[in-house]
Amino acid sequence: MNKILAVIRRELNARVRTKAFIISTLLLPVMMVAVTVLPALLSSGTARTMRLAIVDASTDSLGARVEQALARQKLNGDTATNASQYALARVTASPADLSHVRDSLVAKTGLGGAQHSESFDGVLVIDSATLRTGKLEYLGSNTSAMESMGQLEGTVSQVLIATRLQHAGIDPKVMATSLAPADLTTIKVTDGKATGQSGTASFFIAYIMGFVLYLTMTIYGQQTLTSVIEEKTSRIMEVLVSSLSPFQMLLGKILGVGLTGLLQIGIWAGTIVVLTTQRANIAALFHVSADAMQSFAIPTMSPALLVIFMVFFVLGFLLYGSLYAAVGSMFNVVQEAQQMAFFVQMVMMVAFISMFAILKDPNGGLGVAMSIIPFFSPLIMPVRWSLATVPPVQLVLSLGLAVFALVAVAWIAGRIYRTGILMYGKKPSLREVFRWVGPR
Amino acid sequence: MATSAVSIEQITKRFSGHTAVKQLSFNVPTGGIFGLLGPNGAGKSTTIRMIMDIIEPDSGRITVLGKNSTTRNLSTQVGFLPEERGLYRKMRVAEHLAFLGEVKGMSRGLARRKADAWLQRLGLGEWAVKRVEDLSKGMQQKIQFAGTLIHDPELVILDEPFSGLDPVNMQVMKDIVVDIARSGRTVMFSTHQMEQAERMCERIVIIARGEKVVDGTVAEVKAGFGARHIALSFGEGKEAAERIMADRELIATADDYGASAEVEMAAGIKPQQLLQTLVHAGVELTRFEIVEPSLQSIFIAKVGDAGTVPANAEAA
Repeated sequence: MNKILAVIRRELNARVRTKAFIISTLLLPVMMVAVTVLPALLSSGTARTMRLAIVDASTDSLGARVEQALARQKLNGDTATNASQYALARVTASPADLSHVRDSLVAKTGLGGAQHSESFDGVLVIDSATLRTGKLEYLGSNTSAMESMGQLEGTVSQVLIATRLQHAGIDPKVMATSLAPADLTTIKVTDGKATGQSGTASFFIAYIMGFVLYLTMTIYGQQTLTSVIEEKTSRIMEVLVSSLSPFQMLLGKILGVGLTGLLQIGIWAGTIVVLTTQRANIAALFHVSADAMQSFAIPTMSPALLVIFMVFFVLGFLLYGSLYAAVGSMFNVVQEAQQMAFFVQMVMMVAFISMFAILKDPNGGLGVAMSIIPFFSPLIMPVRWSLATVPPVQLVLSLGLAVFALVAVAWIAGRIYRTGILMYGKKPSLREVFRWVGPR
Repeated sequence: MATSAVSIEQITKRFSGHTAVKQLSFNVPTGGIFGLLGPNGAGKSTTIRMIMDIIEPDSGRITVLGKNSTTRNLSTQVGFLPEERGLYRKMRVAEHLAFLGEVKGMSRGLARRKADAWLQRLGLGEWAVKRVEDLSKGMQQKIQFAGTLIHDPELVILDEPFSGLDPVNMQVMKDIVVDIARSGRTVMFSTHQMEQAERMCERIVIIARGEKVVDGTVAEVKAGFGARHIALSFGEGKEAAERIMADRELIATADDYGASAEVEMAAGIKPQQLLQTLVHAGVELTRFEIVEPSLQSIFIAKVGDAGTVPANAEAA
């Protein structure tokens, strides 16, 4: 047992202490913090009053209404200072000198604000036909700021609708209540109980989980393969094989590599938990409002889902890891082994590709079948479980079959490994490999 | 059978098409240095690998340390240096040594202390935190050597331990091997370098084509071969000497080095007769000495050129 621990520790150290592992492990949390904090940070950075000139060539006070509506807009999320979103200057113009007035204002647009206090960020042009056609122009230095443009368009739209309705004789009070938009909240239901998880969030987490499972199983599977071959080519195998039984070596290696993977996805999942529960503290750390951080919602992961995810990762990795180790033991050159490893990879790829169909219809025939069949289930079951209610019978069946497959695969892999690790020279034929598995 | 560190009885190993080891039997007594000699491809490594339980003999019995158990289960008492050396290239030197101790069943703390002690002894202390790949080949060999001995094994089995070593490192390793034997433990090593074996081993077995040719203490082997060897060095008259050495009535075998030669006299010939013949023929001798046969000459005489098989037939 002490010997297996030594092997596990060695494998873990050999992997965890590499730049590649540290970078790839830290990159994802950093990215997740970035996508939640950065938009809030950026918007707070740009949340400054926009200097806007309105060229008003409207005949029906539309320009004045637009000005009033814009003047009511506050900087988002910044209720404390009560700062206005726009600093407005309305210039009325007749249709004849519209283009002249516009051009003179445009000439003052986009200049450095500090030096030119008269400068504007943009010019909004309302002409006499705007009320009817809904068409108006914005000329500005910040046209690529989609959010600002969207807000501007939204505000103007509401003024247009309200003005048109008023012209049609609708009571302003009725108007205010009628114009309130729908706000759909989607909540996922599991076992007849609402989980508090939104529909998009559970789709998102299913997608990410599938992706992470596929990626980690592939990467760590390949690592198992190359490290077996490395042990063969460096001939350290000869020393190991005189101290450890092949089964101890195989077990130590797969557990060591698997723990590395578990550590990595553990750190990743931990980041999600911290990000979702400590949102306010993180927001305070970066001096942004917690509300602003909600704009990119990191999906919450329920503890049950986390357990399912981890359990199937472990099963999946042990299953594929022993296959990869067995493949590695047959060859002396990584390139040769890759050809055989491709067949293992294919099985995983089938599961990964069908995941996209299962995301659409988690409880369909394909989803049910693939979440039970071993080799597919480690990838498909967590995805399906996060999207839909999985009958406990299916979950137990899936787990049972996966464990059964694992025992069978480990037995076969162990026998191939035992013979393969001491085979140098030409690569074996499949028939020879079958003979290794058979009784001595 | 506690007097035998290793006891081999009638082992045979066949690889596809050829027999690597044929009905081989010998004993390695406890304590001292034992040499397993033979030309390339004689079956030395195959024999050692069977002792180490890496491969199984097709027939026959191997007993290690007198216990009815596999060598792997005795690995806490056995140290093994394989012919093909190998270490994890990316591992740090001290950690690697400690790891090799741990897989031999040592506790982590003890393995680390021993690793440090060995690094100091081999003068590699400052390399402890370096990666294995940063070490020179000679240093890596020393590390592997230390890894073989880190758990103070009762029985040390070394497969071609001195091949590829420079004279300085060879000296270091030789001293360590001699130390082990002096402390009452057993060293068994294989080699095809006869001089090394002659100077170090108390007992030897020579095998060729998988079969035992010679077995005994070095003194016994030499005595059994008889003191029928003469060492010669020549001044003038080398041509005449060559003619005499070619005379099979006088000389059985001759090992001609040019300016000197080692010859084995034919049966019934006395040293005086040979000296007389040489002097009469006008050969100027600067040396005429009756010598013990060297292991080298015994080896050549017993095995001959036919004893070597092509290197690629050496069983993996």
